[in-house]
Amino acid sequence: MKSSAAEPEGGKKYWLPLLAPASLTLLVFLLIPAGIVLRISFYPGSTTIGAEGYSLAQYGKFFGDSLYLSVLGETISYALIVCLGCLVLGFPVGYSLARHPPAKRRLRMLMVIVPLTLSLVVVVFGWLVLLGRHGLVNNLLVALGIVSSPQQLLFNRTAVVIVLIQQFLPFMILSVMNVVMQIDPVLEQASTSLRANRARTFFKVIIPLSTPGILAGLSLIFVMAVSAFVTPRLVGGPRAQMVGGFIYDQILSTSNWPFGAAMAFILLAVGFGLMAVLNATIIRPLTRGLHVR
Amino acid sequence: MFGDAVGRIMAAVGKLVRALVYLALILPAVIVVATSFTSGDAMRFPPTGFSLRWYYAFWESSLFIDSLTLSLKVAALATVLSLLFGFAAAFAIERHDFSGRELMRGFMLSPLLIPAVVLGLGLMQLQVWIGLSQTFLGLLIGHVVVTLPYVVRTLSAGMVLFDRNLEQAAMSLRATPATVLRTVTIPLLVPAIISAGVFAFVTSFGNVSLSVFLGAGGNVTLPVQVLAYVEQTVDPLVAAVSSVVIVFTLVAILIADRISGPKSII
Repeated sequence: MKSSAAEPEGGKKYWLPLLAPASLTLLVFLLIPAGIVLRISFYPGSTTIGAEGYSLAQYGKFFGDSLYLSVLGETISYALIVCLGCLVLGFPVGYSLARHPPAKRRLRMLMVIVPLTLSLVVVVFGWLVLLGRHGLVNNLLVALGIVSSPQQLLFNRTAVVIVLIQQFLPFMILSVMNVVMQIDPVLEQASTSLRANRARTFFKVIIPLSTPGILAGLSLIFVMAVSAFVTPRLVGGPRAQMVGGFIYDQILSTSNWPFGAAMAFILLAVGFGLMAVLNATIIRPLTRGLHVR
Repeated sequence: MFGDAVGRIMAAVGKLVRALVYLALILPAVIVVATSFTSGDAMRFPPTGFSLRWYYAFWESSLFIDSLTLSLKVAALATVLSLLFGFAAAFAIERHDFSGRELMRGFMLSPLLIPAVVLGLGLMQLQVWIGLSQTFLGLLIGHVVVTLPYVVRTLSAGMVLFDRNLEQAAMSLRATPATVLRTVTIPLLVPAIISAGVFAFVTSFGNVSLSVFLGAGGNVTLPVQVLAYVEQTVDPLVAAVSSVVIVFTLVAILIADRISGPKSII
């Protein structure tokens, strides 16, 4: 809707070359690689060297093996639990951040942003120390008399879920914060002045208005969570695996790129599939009826 | 009344949840820094004694120091390139109404949605074909791809908030477009450029998911080195290395925070 009056005289398309470096980079080094992964996944053998032809062998191998299928199921359930955890824990934080006066927001914002930008391995390493046999959590549990000796808190599903939730929480917090900041506080005051109590205002006013932000956060977190591999590898151990870890092994240890490619593509399809479903069923109808600025 | 009680409980629970969330967000980093100063050989909390021996071990380890140098080099170059590419793209997208503009905006943000395993494998294969496999340039290209969306997003936001009247005023005083860009547009966008640059830098500096594929062979960045090390053993040396990563990240974020405020970083 920017007026064309902003165009310089003559309206020359001088902006076209401005787009070239970024879009060419993404075209050659993002789209083409994604296409290559799709192509490789249809190779019949276990190597890409000298491979040709098209076959569904890799997909057959994946969907014909109950081990892979159960890991895929686990991966999706992990991702869903992580989404739910991020929503329940992230919403109150994002909401309160949006309603904080800017001066008081600063330190809290930093506490959200720093973990987001910090290298994943460093964060995971921190959790290994926290949850380790001589870590803070174990020492606290023993000191409080909840357990008599240090427990193995790592290398299980709960640990993986906790660490993934912590990793992705900032995305939910910021997503909720951004959408709540656009909701006029007057709406909440109106609701209160009409004698709706806090709970009612929350569920009838705040939640519906922030749904677009919640869904944006959820779909981003889901896509990232299904393809996680560093966290399950380090925190999950052999008993709590995710598909991402299998792919990593196929690519870097076994060097079976075609099978790795097929699994990677399955993950991509699962992630985008959920986003498409969310978009068609909830987001679009919701944003159509709603014109919040 | 019942409703008020529910409201009060909700408020109290909310407060507790928020406190726990903030604690969980910063605790891993705090623990890492705290344990890095241990004088003992084992990772335990609370740590035993105080010493800088593990920082000294880090300094002596050419493995980690080489990785740190490489990481800083890649992050600096990736930041410069994605700022250049991203500024041009954001400028075109925000200032010009062309068909496919929203599509282009979405395209610029799309690397955020492609899983690292997909991008990693695809880039590995492409780079084998074009002879960039296991090269510094190959790694750098990957980092530009992952940092570009953050840069475009931050700069776009900065350009939307920009007061166009200042440019119009300069134009009306017969300044050429190039002069306007150099003396008005870019100076006014400095906060957004710094935020974008800092975010690109820390994203590249901390990246492990993509670097682990592109660095296989020779170009091992610091996070990849840490990952490889932690898979073998968890000892205070990694805590010292990680603390250095934390300090670099924190300093970068604080600089952006000072100059343009925390809101602008994301």
